Amino acid sequence: MCGIAGRILALPGLIGADLVELIQAQRHRGADSTGFGMYGEPRSDGYMVRVVADRDDLSDHLETFLDIARAHGADYIGDPTWDDATTDHVSVRLVLSNPASSFERWLADADFIDGFEIQSVGRSLEIIKDLGDGYEVADKHGIRNFVGTHGLTNARMATESFVSPTASHPFWARPYPDVAIVHNGQLTNYYLLRDRLRRAGYTFKTDNDSELIAIWLSDQMANGLTIEQSLTDSVTKLDGCFTYILATIDSMAFAKDPFAIKPLVAVEEVDGTMAVATEEQAVRKIYVDDDDLAGKAMVNYDGPSLTGVWPVPARTAAIAGAGVGA
Amino acid sequence: MTANERTEVTVEVAERPIREINAEIRAAAADGHAVRVTDTRSRHNLGVALPEGAVVTFEGSVGYYCGGLNDGATITVERNAGWGTGEAMASGRITVEGYSGMSVGASMRGGLIHVKGDSGPRCGVAMKGGDIVIEGDLGFLSGFMAHDGRIIALGDAGEATGDSLWGGEVWVAGSIKSLGVDTNVVEPEPDQVAALNVLLADLGLESADRDWKRIVSGQKLWHFESRDASAWLMI
Repeated sequence: MCGIAGRILALPGLIGADLVELIQAQRHRGADSTGFGMYGEPRSDGYMVRVVADRDDLSDHLETFLDIARAHGADYIGDPTWDDATTDHVSVRLVLSNPASSFERWLADADFIDGFEIQSVGRSLEIIKDLGDGYEVADKHGIRNFVGTHGLTNARMATESFVSPTASHPFWARPYPDVAIVHNGQLTNYYLLRDRLRRAGYTFKTDNDSELIAIWLSDQMANGLTIEQSLTDSVTKLDGCFTYILATIDSMAFAKDPFAIKPLVAVEEVDGTMAVATEEQAVRKIYVDDDDLAGKAMVNYDGPSLTGVWPVPARTAAIAGAGVGA
Repeated sequence: MTANERTEVTVEVAERPIREINAEIRAAAADGHAVRVTDTRSRHNLGVALPEGAVVTFEGSVGYYCGGLNDGATITVERNAGWGTGEAMASGRITVEGYSGMSVGASMRGGLIHVKGDSGPRCGVAMKGGDIVIEGDLGFLSGFMAHDGRIIALGDAGEATGDSLWGGEVWVAGSIKSLGVDTNVVEPEPDQVAALNVLLADLGLESADRDWKRIVSGQKLWHFESRDASAWLMI
């Protein structure tokens, strides 16, 4: 079943805390694993890398990772950090300077460390996902303290692949920095499209149908389609039932299948602040009563083949500003 | 107890357990009180399986399955409702003053659901009886696989209206974006319109000048043959 949610803040704030409440309210839709994809202040240089690794082999893996980075002319910016839980797996955060060779060549090498799986790479995006419900994952990884402008989250009930931190959502659109998706539903033709993208050189790290959506959309956009065109195309090219939320460094977006099975409801404010979720009771965690909703629109995106884009005001303003300055 | 003693009882939802809330609603209704439910926060399964004679008002939006399995209660939702409102109800009345959510009246067998706003997709899916009146627009795929009963829309209807109807009727006063497979649009008989107006008059919605389209089953699905399968593919 799965529950999904997203949040945009007009100004940077405690995006993590809001996402935790949005997803915990949908815990009953799937609590085997929960994930968060959050966008902080973008770095002008270097990348945040989020990894899930085998805890026992962590120091060896970090050494290998650093060797590979240095071979590509990159280095750590600050020391890696990781959670101090006792689970077999560990979540690691690294900040890496720009690879001097090329981003893709560095990633291709870094991606082949067995037991050290990259979950996201971005100037702004950090994906943290783990087993358990929203509060368990939030407590373990300090999600509530994350400051940012936007993000998405998923409570997973596994249907198409096994339960593990890496097979849960959000999925990063490897190798495109800062692109992530969460998905509610099941795809039936993902393996065909995945084969096609693999032949084109893309790497898939799981058997999860949802990983396809992130990479497929990014490939469309890399081929020159706008985000709106990619969303519209996905409605007919992806087969199955789906409502997904896509996030990029400066926008969030959604699309849903022609049978309109999976609901989606959003509260949209005039300044661009937005909360969206599978169930209305989730957005009610932020907008509790009618007073909270005064002057804001609550929109049920329940119809067939719907798509939409929400710009992130803080990022689009920054880009516009940069444009004027240039 | 006399009617004067039947005061209104308030039950607060907020973050309390739904079972506790529903038990309080049922207990108050059994004592003959009208019940006002406050701070509803769009939570699921509120007022499920209410008995004959219960009068319950939800002072805000409700989540999924509100008034499901209703058997004679009068239920009002003062704002929006979520998925499956009034699912499998046998009798009684549910009024939604805002948007109905998806699959309102799914599998209902009797009674009346009155939506003052629009309906979501699959209104009256698999319904077996009773009436659903939508004052606004009727959502995508409404009446899908219904067996009996009436869906009545005063506004416009969306795509695939009445898809795969087995029985029952979908009445639309406004425009229809598209019809579902195996549907026929037929001219309503005067006595059918008169019967409809009796129902609408009860809701204060009667009008002589509506351009009714009455959608019924094309009955081909009654004798499904696998060689005709392509005719049932919507997309």
